[in-house]
Amino acid sequence: MTRGLVFNIQRYSIHDGTGIRTIVFLKGCPLKCPWCSNPESQGPVRPSVWMKDGAEEPLGKWMSVDEVLHEVEKDEIFYRTSNGGVTLSGGEVLMQADFAAELLKEVKALGISTAIETTGALPLKQIRKVLPYTDQVLFDLKIMDPDKARQIIGEKISTIKQNFEEALNSPAHVIPRIPLIPGYTTPPENLRQIRDYVTGLGIKEIHILPFHQYGSGKYEYLKRSYRLKDTPLLKQEEVNTVKAFFESAQIKTVVSGLE
Amino acid sequence: MAEMYAVSNNNFMNIRKKSLLDDMKTFLFQNERRISLERAILFTKSHKQTEGEPQIIRRAKATAYILDHVKISIRPGELLVGNRTVRPRSGILSPEMDPYWIMKEMDTIHDRPQDAFYFTEADKRVYREQLLPYWSGRSMKDFINGKIPKNAQKAVDDLVIKLNQTDKGQGHIIMDFQAILNHGVGYYIDLLSRKSAAQPENNFFISAKVIFEAMARHFLRYRKEALQKAKSTEITEARKVELLEMADMCKRLSSQKPQSFYEALQLLWMTSIVGQYESNASSLSLGRMDQYLYPFYKKSVEEGVPGAFIREVLGDFYVKTNDVVLLRSRESAKCFAGFPTGYTVALGGLDQYGQSSVNELSYLMLDLYHSIRLPQPNLSVRINELIPRRFLNKTCETIRLGTGIPQIFNDEVIIPGFLSKGVSLDDARDYAVVGCVETTIPGKTYGLHDIALFNFLRIMEISLYELRDRDDLTFDQLVAYLLKRIDGYVKDVTIGSDIVDLAHREFAPIPFLSALVEDCIDNGKDITEGGARYNFSGVQGIGEANLADSLFVIKKLVFEQHEMKFSELVDALEADFEGKYKNLQNHVIHDFDKYGNDNPEIDMIAAKIFRHYALELGKYRNIRGGEFNAGAYTVSAHIPLGEDVGATPDGRKAHDQLADGGLSPMVGRDRLGPTAVLKSVSKIDNVLCVNGSLLNLKFQPSTLQGSSGIHKFADFLMAFTKLKIRHVQFNVQSRDTLFDAQKHPENYAGLIVRVAGYSAFFVDLNKKIQDDIIARCEHVL
Repeated sequence: MTRGLVFNIQRYSIHDGTGIRTIVFLKGCPLKCPWCSNPESQGPVRPSVWMKDGAEEPLGKWMSVDEVLHEVEKDEIFYRTSNGGVTLSGGEVLMQADFAAELLKEVKALGISTAIETTGALPLKQIRKVLPYTDQVLFDLKIMDPDKARQIIGEKISTIKQNFEEALNSPAHVIPRIPLIPGYTTPPENLRQIRDYVTGLGIKEIHILPFHQYGSGKYEYLKRSYRLKDTPLLKQEEVNTVKAFFESAQIKTVVSGLE
Repeated sequence: MAEMYAVSNNNFMNIRKKSLLDDMKTFLFQNERRISLERAILFTKSHKQTEGEPQIIRRAKATAYILDHVKISIRPGELLVGNRTVRPRSGILSPEMDPYWIMKEMDTIHDRPQDAFYFTEADKRVYREQLLPYWSGRSMKDFINGKIPKNAQKAVDDLVIKLNQTDKGQGHIIMDFQAILNHGVGYYIDLLSRKSAAQPENNFFISAKVIFEAMARHFLRYRKEALQKAKSTEITEARKVELLEMADMCKRLSSQKPQSFYEALQLLWMTSIVGQYESNASSLSLGRMDQYLYPFYKKSVEEGVPGAFIREVLGDFYVKTNDVVLLRSRESAKCFAGFPTGYTVALGGLDQYGQSSVNELSYLMLDLYHSIRLPQPNLSVRINELIPRRFLNKTCETIRLGTGIPQIFNDEVIIPGFLSKGVSLDDARDYAVVGCVETTIPGKTYGLHDIALFNFLRIMEISLYELRDRDDLTFDQLVAYLLKRIDGYVKDVTIGSDIVDLAHREFAPIPFLSALVEDCIDNGKDITEGGARYNFSGVQGIGEANLADSLFVIKKLVFEQHEMKFSELVDALEADFEGKYKNLQNHVIHDFDKYGNDNPEIDMIAAKIFRHYALELGKYRNIRGGEFNAGAYTVSAHIPLGEDVGATPDGRKAHDQLADGGLSPMVGRDRLGPTAVLKSVSKIDNVLCVNGSLLNLKFQPSTLQGSSGIHKFADFLMAFTKLKIRHVQFNVQSRDTLFDAQKHPENYAGLIVRVAGYSAFFVDLNKKIQDDIIARCEHVL
């Protein structure tokens, strides 16, 4: 049986897709976003450790589809009343596409809503495995300039776009999610490129996620430096300006996943 | 005729140009709380004149004497009359119940940590020289002290049981307000006169009649007061018009039934105040106000009464429920901290057809709370599968205000619970809330809902020490021993409760209230004599969460993993995890799962023990022939009850608090968020908590943000409904809580902060970020 490397299962998540959801975080990600708030998931699909409160703590646990199902079924009653369900996140879900597809298939078979949160940074054949079982795709769009994207986060924009368009052509509902990272994704030129791209594809709704510092403690556990540790949070007006910018193109813009 | 009435009142209803509710609120809270001896002095004076008469008649005459002589006043701006004391929020002593406790606390009560009162030196003298000598030896407390049998006393001395209501009125009763609103005061005077004429030897009829007649006179005293006030040159013309109408209304209500929403509220309030004078009890609750007031509301709306006036008068009613506070002893104030006076209201819920009963008044009552925001009335919403989404959303928006109001009760559990206790379907569907979280059948029940507390964890502690040398024991034998110990103490608590029950019968019959509880008039008996239709006694089992956590640790540590012997574990507890046992405390806290994390192995330990307890308790009948019912709530008693228990295997240090609420997990031990907590709590068969249960949940305000936040919260409550959990109340996190979480992270392991797709618990964040979140929290709330 396929096994997946899971580094966290978080219940009662209300910001990541419809209704009340459980998020299964899969370990491993090919990107190196400097603002990543799950830095423990970066790198290959391989268990690792960090030091927390002076003690070594393992990161990542190999689990079978049944084991994960058993965990996510615990909140079934909440999915039923809220049209919620299971979201696979990461890391990058597509790094473990076979496992993800099998899990999503089982969840969907129970009539529970499925979602993935992805960067779309892997070859097309990966996303094609999961899309048939996915109701909602929360798709990260970050830096659109090909050179900067390659240098800063290590992604190839052409791949991202291919994946994005593949998702759009599937029955899944696709919502672009834009992390607002000061100096990285927020320059007006970048936001304009994102807007042009999505409007060209007929997108009607996006989510913007203002920068936060929630991940910074994790860098300490990992004994890694955190480049954004002194980056200030966005002011409410700055967030509003971005929101207005997208809305001026008739795109419904939801801040942080809650309307 | 109806038309004339409406026209003649139009002027009066429109004359107030600006709401005075804020002024009324301010007036209540502008002075420090004092103790008032007025009721005690009047009560005693009357009692001295009635020596030799039957107790019930003496009490009725004393209540009537108070109603005729107590100083009265009309507060600035109020439209409803009736105050227990001229000075707002005064503490009332009832030395006829227990004259002693105040003697010990007289000189410290003004600066005690919880619910302080100012007691003037002059009043202290009066108390010492006049009241104490008269009541010493003849109070209800004396009766109880002399009657408690050895065994029950031992259970009290063992710190396993605490008997309540030994020093004040029983309370926790809802009168049949619908009946008095439909009939009026005059009807009861006539009815009781007829009954009394037919059975002249029945003292209950005589007594009840004495008080209803005094109530009529009390209304007339307010009429006079209003007329007097209207003559004053210091008031505005507008106020004069209001006062003249109030005077007329008092006259009408002294005999007739109410004809409008305004009059219904006035009669409702006065009935409640007379009940307070009669027994000085905690929690003479209000029941289903949106139901029994609805016909009056509808009529008034149809007659064109302005909405602003309806809000003003209902708002006045809300404010007035904060005018009555309870004076409790230091110990009792710790258990019931912050004046839960018990003007509890249940909104919505199923009607007798099994349909949702939510109406426009239900909405108005929630809506009005948004602008008043005082601790009383304590609003509750009855939830069920049929609740209209619009009302559920309104409920969620009210909870989002962050005050913990309203609390939620689940019809899908509570109704079957009552059915299992022999309550009729119609009555079960009509349940309401008394006190804090206890449920009752309004107007039909004398339920002694708050008669005793039962400390599970203390029984476990006693058992562990009794067994400490038995290293040969199996886990099952240990549990069997514990259950047997529970059985023994259950018997003791029923005996103790019965003594208090009997004491209230002998010393504190309450004929006025009884006349407004169904079957008492038919039976010709006071409720204390068993006149009511339903006659329960409720005992609260406390410490479930810590007990389940502790047994789970014992099971794993001693019996499965064989890390230490049973006797060694008891040694560690005796040492309070100090010295060589320091690491053990960490180990048991962190390396063993706990109740509240949806782990069936632990949850079922709690479930089995609670079921055993509830069924055992249900075998006993009280002196009125009613069943003993189990409850699972602490109010604030988890702190003092924790003081009674040494260190426990769940890692709790000696004298630390127990889990709050009743069914809540131990603070800081739930790691997986609110859905996991609900799943754990649902494992305990909530149907068995017929007397009441309490669950606290904490939420970050940002999770309730916007319309989708409200929708998801409402969905969460629908899952709660399906999980058949009886009660929940929400603590939407404030800044202060987050500050506390920063200082004591060990207590907040499960607090999730608002994140989009990232695993972040508040305690995992560094201080700087926590500060940020706290700063943001300021403008969220």
